[in-house]
Amino acid sequence: MPDIYGANADLLAKVMDLRLERQNLVVSNLANINIPGYKARTLEFESQLQQAVGDVQSKNSLTRTSAEHIPSHFDVNGFQGRAVKEFKPRTIYGADAVDMDKEMATMGKNSLMYNALVTVMQKNFEGIKTVIAEGGK
Amino acid sequence: MDFMTALDVGGSALSAQRTYMNVIAMNLANAKTTRTADGQGPYQRKSVALESTPVTPFGKAMNAALGDELQGVRVTGIVADGRPAKQVFEPGHPDADQNGYVQYPDINVVEEMTNMIQATRSYEASTSTITTIKSMYNKALEIGR
Repeated sequence: MPDIYGANADLLAKVMDLRLERQNLVVSNLANINIPGYKARTLEFESQLQQAVGDVQSKNSLTRTSAEHIPSHFDVNGFQGRAVKEFKPRTIYGADAVDMDKEMATMGKNSLMYNALVTVMQKNFEGIKTVIAEGGK
Repeated sequence: MDFMTALDVGGSALSAQRTYMNVIAMNLANAKTTRTADGQGPYQRKSVALESTPVTPFGKAMNAALGDELQGVRVTGIVADGRPAKQVFEPGHPDADQNGYVQYPDINVVEEMTNMIQATRSYEASTSTITTIKSMYNKALEIGR
């Protein structure tokens, strides 16, 4: 059954969750900037997510030989980002184990993308609202 | 995933850096102190010991591997620096020993200022992460509007 909120609403929400998680990691990295031996963490999910979505889609087109077959949808709940530690810690006194420029750039990109996703979602809902309002006239 | 995790982590960093700042101010203020309150010779330079901490004990037990990666920061203590005192020949000083030498704390103003700038920058970085996360939360609240 087609969803009133569009196929991508769940995916959008998941990506927003992951972006929030990435933001949390950036905050954590910056909080620990003066800790010797602390390794910077990053959160990777884009390529994996793309692959996971793509896998399901290509599988669908290959395996569904009949309309009566059960379609397998991409389940957003099972997906998780992978936190990656920077491989080698630096413990030189006074030198950061966390690259502040990198963290700030990640944060900027991340929050912009998050805000963009929110806007997309808002527009989705606005569209539905319009349909309801105009249909009732 | 906790809603306010990022704010907790950012807040822990702010308080740690503020403590560091207090200690730097104390060092600079006592750069010429030859007699401490307990009467034990010159002031000894202090520094802070910082430690990464899990965000919440509960989170550590319950969360997935992803949650365990998040770490706040905590001041474990203010530790005395072991460097020896500076000997300065000042026979007129009330704290001079029988040879006329006064023990001054070995505090390098440049070093303290450098540490101060580092603490300031780190503090600023944490405030800007908190500002960003706040704007993200506010933006998310716009969805249902």
